[in-house]
Amino acid sequence: MTASRPYALLAEISYRCPLHCPYCSNPTQTTNDQELTTREWTRVIREAAALGVLQIGFSGGEPLVRRDLPDLVRASREANLYTNLITSGIGLDDDRTAALRDAGLDSVQLSFQSDNPDLADEIAGARAHQRKLDATAKIRAAGIPLSLNFVIHRRNIDRLPQMIELAESLEAERVELANVQFYGWAFLNRAALLPTREQVVRAREIATAAKLRLAGKIDIFYVLPDYYETRPKPCLSGWGQRYLTVNPIGDVLPCPTASSAIPDLRFENVRARELDWIWRESESFNRFRGTEWMPEPCHSCPQREIDFGGCRCQAALLTGNAANTDPVCELSPNRSVVDAVLRDLNSSTPKAFGPDWTYRINPETRPISVPHL
Amino acid sequence: MENQTIAGSAQPRLARGIRLQTDAATGNSVLLFPEGILELNETAQDILIRCDGRTVTEIIQALAEEYDVDSKMLGDDVCETLANLQRRKLIDLT
Repeated sequence: MTASRPYALLAEISYRCPLHCPYCSNPTQTTNDQELTTREWTRVIREAAALGVLQIGFSGGEPLVRRDLPDLVRASREANLYTNLITSGIGLDDDRTAALRDAGLDSVQLSFQSDNPDLADEIAGARAHQRKLDATAKIRAAGIPLSLNFVIHRRNIDRLPQMIELAESLEAERVELANVQFYGWAFLNRAALLPTREQVVRAREIATAAKLRLAGKIDIFYVLPDYYETRPKPCLSGWGQRYLTVNPIGDVLPCPTASSAIPDLRFENVRARELDWIWRESESFNRFRGTEWMPEPCHSCPQREIDFGGCRCQAALLTGNAANTDPVCELSPNRSVVDAVLRDLNSSTPKAFGPDWTYRINPETRPISVPHL
Repeated sequence: MENQTIAGSAQPRLARGIRLQTDAATGNSVLLFPEGILELNETAQDILIRCDGRTVTEIIQALAEEYDVDSKMLGDDVCETLANLQRRKLIDLT
């Protein structure tokens, strides 16, 4: 299997974050290695563009904790990349907004936990909601396009109509209504986050209706709750096909959750290798490329180039083997694992309805020291 | 897909934050937007580079001349392409 070129780079520039959302997909355990420096990131950005990348998303953690973010945005624009900032909005004051705009930032995706301030702050584990609203005003004033991202789970899914109203009132261009996917902290907190079947059916109706109603005004993107599906999501559009992620310490990942979900996969680091080599030659990018690696029922499945066997991380987390068919698939011999989780929640006497979740705690990753700009 | 009518006098423009650019790897045009990349076919590319303040009618006329085809036949294709882009908030019609 020869590698095509990647289209998008997710730059997780720091795992540090002022919020503590229990659904965070970041690893629950990280090393205390040093974050990449400005110079190292700039090299990664140039190498990514040379490899064919067209788009970069700055994410984390909270990317605004890095004072050099405008420098990284500028370097990306100089490499002709489309630049997205994926942020909580915390730390986005007037000066930083202006600096990012002047550096050429193309778009901001701001996360909200709910439309309701008390619930939002409870989910975030921080007083954040009002600061997010303030941030949207600054983004608007700077003329930067705004997307709102809502992660949907059992505690907030019933407020979908109000969340969509919030997006309308803030005049967002795009809204992502993403049912929580169970990796990292979300996997740990699954029993408290998984919505009921009834909730999921209703949410789908609301999202579908809103998408029609707001067509041409707000682009609504609804991410399905995959445990309730019968076929798996086409994860990453195929492993090592379109996307790559570089994490705060420079590990290059085919998928942002792979480092914690697939323990037997060893990842290359940009401090030791060029991105081009890692993308084309590394074991981690080649392990699940194409269809040769697939076991049955995927190997002979007519859907194999449509859903790519689903998600490798989910297979690893739920079956212990990343090469297995994603157990969400109704053809998977392990579908019973998912069904058992759904049954525990949706039975008349739910067993899995634990109210408590564990808040995300910040990693030990050491920050770099960047002089104030 | 529902039937979408677009006024000939409408002026399509790229929506805010959407970038039309050449993909150096292929030489083709792509639309770049938050978390999305749309690889454009030749017709879509030809339409979008003309979304510079011209009206839909003017764009159809210009393309009909360029392709040497009847503007009535071309009109439906152009309107459908524009309607699709507008639904996804990639262009605005003013």
